[in-house]
Amino acid sequence: MKSMSLYEEKHSFLNKLSPITKMIYVVAAILIPAFAGEKMLAVGFMIFSMLLLMHSKVIRRTFPILGVSGFVVLTVLIIQGLFRAGNETVVLDMGPVAFYKEGLLFALGIAINVFNIILCFCVLVLSTKPSDMVEELVRKGFSPRIGYVFTSLFQLIPQMTDRMSTITDAQKSRGMETEGSLMIRMKAFLPLISPVIMSSFIDTKERAIALEVRGFNAKNKKTFLNESTKIPVDNVIIIILVVGIVCSIGWRIMTWLR
Amino acid sequence: MAEIKVENLKYRYPYTEKLALDGITCEIKQGEFIGVIGKNGSGKSTFCQALTGLVPTFYRGAYGGKVFIDEIEVKNVEVDDLCQKVGIVFQNPFNQVTGSKLTVYEEIAFGLENFGIERSQMRKRIDESLALLDIAKYKDRAPFDLSGGQMQRMAIASIIAMEPEIIILDEPTSQLDPQGSEEVFQAVQKLSQKGITVIMVEHKIEKIAAYSDRVMLLDDGKLVDFDIPQKVFSRTDLEEHGVVPPTYTRIGKALNLRVSETDTYPVTLQEAEQLLAHRQE
Ligand SMILES: Nc1ncnc2c1ncn2[C@@H]1O[C@H](COP(=O)(O)OP(=O)(O)OP(=O)(O)O)[C@@H](O)[C@H]1O
Ligand SMILES: [Mg+2]
Repeated sequence: MKSMSLYEEKHSFLNKLSPITKMIYVVAAILIPAFAGEKMLAVGFMIFSMLLLMHSKVIRRTFPILGVSGFVVLTVLIIQGLFRAGNETVVLDMGPVAFYKEGLLFALGIAINVFNIILCFCVLVLSTKPSDMVEELVRKGFSPRIGYVFTSLFQLIPQMTDRMSTITDAQKSRGMETEGSLMIRMKAFLPLISPVIMSSFIDTKERAIALEVRGFNAKNKKTFLNESTKIPVDNVIIIILVVGIVCSIGWRIMTWLR
Repeated sequence: MAEIKVENLKYRYPYTEKLALDGITCEIKQGEFIGVIGKNGSGKSTFCQALTGLVPTFYRGAYGGKVFIDEIEVKNVEVDDLCQKVGIVFQNPFNQVTGSKLTVYEEIAFGLENFGIERSQMRKRIDESLALLDIAKYKDRAPFDLSGGQMQRMAIASIIAMEPEIIILDEPTSQLDPQGSEEVFQAVQKLSQKGITVIMVEHKIEKIAAYSDRVMLLDDGKLVDFDIPQKVFSRTDLEEHGVVPPTYTRIGKALNLRVSETDTYPVTLQEAEQLLAHRQE
């Protein structure tokens, strides 16, 4: 089946954990270093996320994401290293330009934060079915309607693009040009958008009615076909993470008071 | 026991001039199989939606008259209060897939989850409706990976799992190939045999003739006729209302084969055969 999700069916430790646990991990990996104000903590979480991803055998899927963001981070590194206001200490003199320590350190801090955030989200996203994640949130009181929007997007968007290509094929078979120069394709695109927009508009309305008659707006308390998948180790992990977050907040308050 | 009672129902869509339903009065008993026919734009779909309360709760517009399901007046209740009693299935199977569920089994659970049905009960009902619609073998498939006929049967199963007393089907086979249509017809027949009231809009007139207890003929929002298929299809003005009678009725007319008690033409192959055999004696 077509789906837009990055999730891969694997039977690893991460896959077995409850989505909630992994979501709290994301929060902890971002908040704890931020509150504690200690870059090394972020590095620690980064390495830990990488180990988790390796253990689940999905680390290779992070490479393209890290590659793209790496490129952006590199640009930041160069610009800050060369031109950041307050640059004083030269580390690398290259004739007309020089790299400065202050700018490089600043950019390094950004890089660590960026990679930490990306990696901890990867831990969540690569090991969790989007529908499981949303269902778990709905169980915890998140709005089922908003939840529906998220889960259905993963399936409906690929279906809609399929439709679009069906319509393109139909137009082509009637002799429309859809290949060739930009101008030709622009002209071909115009008659295409109205059936696509119209049909998805009608589809959406029909689907809204079909949902309505299946109690989408019913006011009673929902039940769930699948049981919540929490395992005992989930609770242990959650407690550790929450304690970590609370301690880092406490630490921050103490440093303020001092 | 769900009885439908419609009293002088009139309805006009918002921003339109013409009445989509114009003074419809009728009664339908529990367990009947009702075929609804009429040309395009005659008001068939609107009538279906009036029975489920989508008209006027979802569509608004000008509404007059009364529709009762048992003692409940449709316009006074929310759609989700009614849809466990009256289920409706639409033309396009694709648009009835929620898109938020990963398997056929979970898809059928959608309505039950919304109504807070308890888990063991939910599983029992899903298994029953999977069996009834003969799609148990696809229960772990992705909903969008089914053929049209299978998808439409899944849509029907999703409604049946909510255990309605009445099921309305608005041209459920019009987007399916002959094979898919046949699958759906057989499934609907089974529902009817279980005692569920079936109200089916359909252009495949031979099927309506074969399955319906009574046929409802609509034209221009008005109820032209509501009687046994033999009576409705024997009308001389049928084609003026945009309906072509079943082949066997036309043969019957040509050969002047009449059922003597009701003074009507045959509507199915069986009936035509019987009359012919009778004549040859
Ligand atoms: N959403 C709408 N808004 C405005 N007018 C509508 C709407 N839906 C239907 N109508 C009008 O109401 C009348 C009855 O339409 P309806 O869809 O009930 O006919 P139908 O018998 O189901 O036709 P078909 O065989 O094409 O499905 C038509 O004149 C139609 O143009
Ligand atoms: Mg219609």
